[in-house]
Amino acid sequence: MTTNSQQSQALVWEKERAAAANNAHGADNNPQLNKDAEKHSGPSRTLWGDAWNRLKQNKLAIIAACWIVFIVLVALTCDLWAPQLLGSPIEISSADTAKLSLLPPSLEHPFGTDLLGRDVLVRIIYGTRVSLAVGILATAISTAIGLVMGALAAYYGGWLDMIIMRLADIFLAFPYILFVIAMLAVIGPGFQNVFIAIGILGWPSIARVFRSAILSVQENDYISAARALGASDVRIIARHIFPNAVASIVVYATMSIGGAILTESALSFIGMGVTPPTPSWGQMINDGRAYLANAPWIMLAPGFAILSTVLSFTLLGDGLRDALDVKLKDA
Amino acid sequence: MLKYILKRILQFIPVFIGVTVILFALTNIVPGDPIKLIAGEKSLAPEVELQLRAANHLIKVDDQGLPIFDENGNTIPESTVAQYGYYISDLLHGDLGESYQKKVPVLDIFKDKYPYTIRLAAVAIVIEIIVGIGAGMISAIKRYSFWDVLVTLSTSILVAMPAFWLGMLLQLFFGIKLKEWTGGGFYMPMSGAGGAVSEFQSWMHYILPAITLASVSTAYAARIMRSQLLETLNMDYIRTAIAKGLNSRQVILKHALKNALIPVVTYIGIDFGSMLSGAILTETVFNWPGIGYEIYRAITMRDWPVVMGGVTLVVVVVLVISLIVDISYAFLDPRIRYGNKKEN
Repeated sequence: MTTNSQQSQALVWEKERAAAANNAHGADNNPQLNKDAEKHSGPSRTLWGDAWNRLKQNKLAIIAACWIVFIVLVALTCDLWAPQLLGSPIEISSADTAKLSLLPPSLEHPFGTDLLGRDVLVRIIYGTRVSLAVGILATAISTAIGLVMGALAAYYGGWLDMIIMRLADIFLAFPYILFVIAMLAVIGPGFQNVFIAIGILGWPSIARVFRSAILSVQENDYISAARALGASDVRIIARHIFPNAVASIVVYATMSIGGAILTESALSFIGMGVTPPTPSWGQMINDGRAYLANAPWIMLAPGFAILSTVLSFTLLGDGLRDALDVKLKDA
Repeated sequence: MLKYILKRILQFIPVFIGVTVILFALTNIVPGDPIKLIAGEKSLAPEVELQLRAANHLIKVDDQGLPIFDENGNTIPESTVAQYGYYISDLLHGDLGESYQKKVPVLDIFKDKYPYTIRLAAVAIVIEIIVGIGAGMISAIKRYSFWDVLVTLSTSILVAMPAFWLGMLLQLFFGIKLKEWTGGGFYMPMSGAGGAVSEFQSWMHYILPAITLASVSTAYAARIMRSQLLETLNMDYIRTAIAKGLNSRQVILKHALKNALIPVVTYIGIDFGSMLSGAILTETVFNWPGIGYEIYRAITMRDWPVVMGGVTLVVVVVLVISLIVDISYAFLDPRIRYGNKKEN
């Protein structure tokens, strides 16, 4: 389940990257990328400019990016228009509850209503806030910890590397979702604790990715050259290593936002996540369990919301990987 | 070979200690006084409370298990290191604590549940092996074809989909909408108790939960298979095999597949370990009476010893299985046996 997904994501990614590098001189190279390379021999010469030119060619990634921008806008502005159109996402008067309970989808309630008469669509709209906030904040925490750990391990090596990597092994030995559950059992459920737990426990995968990225950059001659010229450690890390490893961080962070959103939905589904009545997609799916036969619309729409959002982050991450891949660009 | 096994077991020890330290730390910072949690709403008589504190190793005791007092007549709190010692000793004796609600040992609760989890995992792993490896092979051999796009697309969707939602969709479609065709055998009725044992005799009950449990890992297995096979097919010895006139079927089956399979089988082996750890989400959706569902039930009852005991049990099982997978790999693949020497 979610347990191994981060590790295997990294595995698949590394394999695909290796395969692509192997193919680079063969006839079997990705025709898309060859085409792009020819097309864009022109204007932009910076890493990000080139990346943007490549990304523009990837229709799936652009659709995914548009969807993400759209839900971010929805999450930011929903207070201004959603309740006026569809009613309160949290509570409606008891007189209305009887009238509105478990209504099937209609023009007035496009995705139907739940047991308490609340509109499913407006709850999904408000659910974007929880999902995006948990996804982004948890990723920020795990990336920050992972970067520091990965950089320390790769750059200084030796015993520090060994200790950090053994620590990462210990964290990865836990089935991920159960680890988060155990942590939440200790610190208690709730929005803040959910993103903290997901974030704190997510660092080992990103530390590994960053560590191997640094190690591969470090082997380049220009690092030895910089060192021979007398550059300090900090200068080498900041000026030479980080810019070259940043592509893999951006890609991995994008994908792990999707992973964190999935984990949050699973936690809310089993009642360890965001506490009601704050609407969350996973919790809405759980609400729908009891009415699967009579009112399947309660669980259908939030599931599609999770699927489309997580898929968008994955596809955008894939697109960024292809667009930013330094190795591919050199080949 | 023996050297490799010993080395692998030696590596296992620090991980095991690290994992138990984390679990111990988590168990011991569960909010509030553990004794108050055991007592619940009732207030305890001072003697009973003292006994409980002594029995839970919270205070120092003498040989007879009686509390030791300092000169002021106060109890002496046990040190954290000693508490960890007791925790490890209990753990190695199979003592995972006692349920707050049911007042029975946690291990007894899980003992009855394990067979269900194992059977479900076995069915799921068969699905994963057949569908995952098959789809990955087709996708790699017929690269950029319709089938390749289909496999790539559906694995992306499966990975982005919450597995519990997939389980509910399957229930909705096969259990409820197609009830007439499937005879209702696929529909798991909602029952808070987790279903009576006799309800789970029929093989049909295994299908939907097993598909749900296998879904994400099958997608990953297919992807790893695809990229591995593509990588292998690019190797020089494959070109040689084709050049000497073997047909492509022979090349793929005899030469490429053997090498490409190794990482996939490793992944599936480790994945079997995590499936045995009880798929909490799948079991919850289907009210499957395994350990995952028991952990979920304990969460909803706020029965923390059962939650922590369950997590501990599962983590130990996962650790031991990954150790076994690694060691059996050394038997199968000489590169692992000898390759490690180069690294160190």
